[in-house]
Amino acid sequence: MRFIAEENIPRLLGRLAANAAVWAPQVVKDTVNTVLFAPWRAGGEIETGAYSALSAKELVLPATERLFSYRYRRAGEGERIGIKGCAPQERVVIFGMRACDAKALAVLDALFLSRSAGSYNDPYYQGRRSGLTVITLACTSCDSACFCSSFEKGAAETAGSDLIFYPVSGGYLAGPVSEKGKELAAVDLFQDSSQEKPGLAKTAKVELVGIQQRLLERFDDIDFWRLATEVCLSCGYCSYACPACHCFNIFDETDGDRAGGRYRCWDACMFYAYTLESSGHNPRPEAAHRYRNRLAHKFSYFPLNRGEILCTGCGRCIRGCPAGLDFRDVIRAVSAG
Amino acid sequence: MNEFVQTIKQTFKEVDLVLGWVRSPAAGVAVPACFHTPAQADDAVFDSTCMHNLVVHLPRLAGKKVGIVAKGCDARSIAQLVAEHAVDRSRVIVIGVHCPGMIDVKKAWRCFGFGKRISDAGGRVAMEGKTVAREEVLLQKCRGCRDWEPVICDVTAGGATKAATAPPAEPAGIRKRFAAMSPAERRQFWQDQFSRCIRCYACREACPLCFCRDQCAMQARDPGWATAAIDASQSWMAQLIRISHMAGRCSGCEECERACPVGIPLMLLLEEQNAVIEELFGYRAGAGPEVKPPLLTFNIKDDAWGES
Repeated sequence: MRFIAEENIPRLLGRLAANAAVWAPQVVKDTVNTVLFAPWRAGGEIETGAYSALSAKELVLPATERLFSYRYRRAGEGERIGIKGCAPQERVVIFGMRACDAKALAVLDALFLSRSAGSYNDPYYQGRRSGLTVITLACTSCDSACFCSSFEKGAAETAGSDLIFYPVSGGYLAGPVSEKGKELAAVDLFQDSSQEKPGLAKTAKVELVGIQQRLLERFDDIDFWRLATEVCLSCGYCSYACPACHCFNIFDETDGDRAGGRYRCWDACMFYAYTLESSGHNPRPEAAHRYRNRLAHKFSYFPLNRGEILCTGCGRCIRGCPAGLDFRDVIRAVSAG
Repeated sequence: MNEFVQTIKQTFKEVDLVLGWVRSPAAGVAVPACFHTPAQADDAVFDSTCMHNLVVHLPRLAGKKVGIVAKGCDARSIAQLVAEHAVDRSRVIVIGVHCPGMIDVKKAWRCFGFGKRISDAGGRVAMEGKTVAREEVLLQKCRGCRDWEPVICDVTAGGATKAATAPPAEPAGIRKRFAAMSPAERRQFWQDQFSRCIRCYACREACPLCFCRDQCAMQARDPGWATAAIDASQSWMAQLIRISHMAGRCSGCEECERACPVGIPLMLLLEEQNAVIEELFGYRAGAGPEVKPPLLTFNIKDDAWGES
């Protein structure tokens, strides 16, 4: 283990900022403690205690991302239409992610970085992901919305992180997970330490045994879903705040009549328009159908297809739900009876 | 059994379900609930954490006889929906409650941690060993409340006794600075605010008066008033479309701002618009179920309007 003193954190981030954009959780100006991940500048105060309203998934899957631009050319300029692709190459270091958010990156990797023969590799995701270094802050405490202990490793999860900081008296123990993390922890701001790692948070647990099958059995019982989700307002907050939700839509925008581009932007299965077909038919007309899909995708379809659960227990969907609906209550209701 | 629960139970003679609140075990505060049987209503609570406006569910429960527990401000939303013929008065039983003023739970938790227990007694609110005067943690709308007595009500179910309403807060912080801004500064201010918007539409979905819902112009591809791009100018445009559709209809329940996960102060826009409407027409949305909203004064008999 390596150790870094609290007062050396700004120095570390300052050095990293020479070669990369540094992101950290910060309180948004003019708000009452609304915390978001945002670019950090020297002197900026980092909020490591409160939970961020959104995950930092925008670093690998931006809310809106241009895929390519096109432009009609004048006569004599060669090809009639010029197309310019986008290849993200930014280098970003994120400080202060939680283990749940980092784990979600590993889950997204399973989808967007499929390296097996014949599967699709997303070049935009790959470009951003390979330029990303994740410094995770291990949780020694939690709140009542957290439920990462429901999953195999809980707060001790290391997947997705490059370097994990464990809070101890006067600073942090640093445990490298990847080569990137090892290099980072080798610099002179760190020193060797034989200190014990602190005890990590133990959160509330949700029983997930059998949920994959149970969701399939419950699929057609729409009255069950109507009852279980009747206070749901069907907004997209839970999907957009979720570190593992990753749906997007693709659309073209013109910029005047001679140029334009193709974009992708976040979309959410909680929206009516998500499954609206061009005929006017909608297979998921009610919030109940949409909530069913969101839950089953996380705990049944995605695990079946990719071998990973699409939820890491960060609790944002519970903390921020405007209807006060507790995601865990719906999981419990699915399992019961 | 307390009088509040008893009143809810009695309404089941006339309704299919009742909208109210129960206590969340994880969060310790009130969360919205639907009671389908009198027995379920045993869990009903009413306290100063019942901040949600349950009226948002009324139009969605078309065709059902619904009982709804309503604070004074919620009742204004019902009155406006009835005046707009968006909800059929005869299928709603309004269970009026007298509101003690609601605590801004979300903001309190952002400071003290989600689910931290809140005690509210004797005009003081205590959390994590810290005690503050109630006025300091009330929702903005509860300061200077004019709606303690529900404007539309079928049965009353108790609640708080009438106490002196906390006076309107002197504009502080962001409100004070905003009031003093020039148009150019305001432009920059909103550009900054909407750079955080993620287009989750929680503002729209939490609003009891937004009625386009699934056909919302903020999200429509055709016509594309605003693109789907999640960037400040598009999000701002989309929100301004929503807000201009609220002219003369917004009763100031603050649900859009409460629902916003990234803390955009939407009420600054709505308060300004509501003040203009009140000045021009002497009308506050939700004045009563029979009052004709000034911006909807077409001849209703010529149009086959009504709840579908």
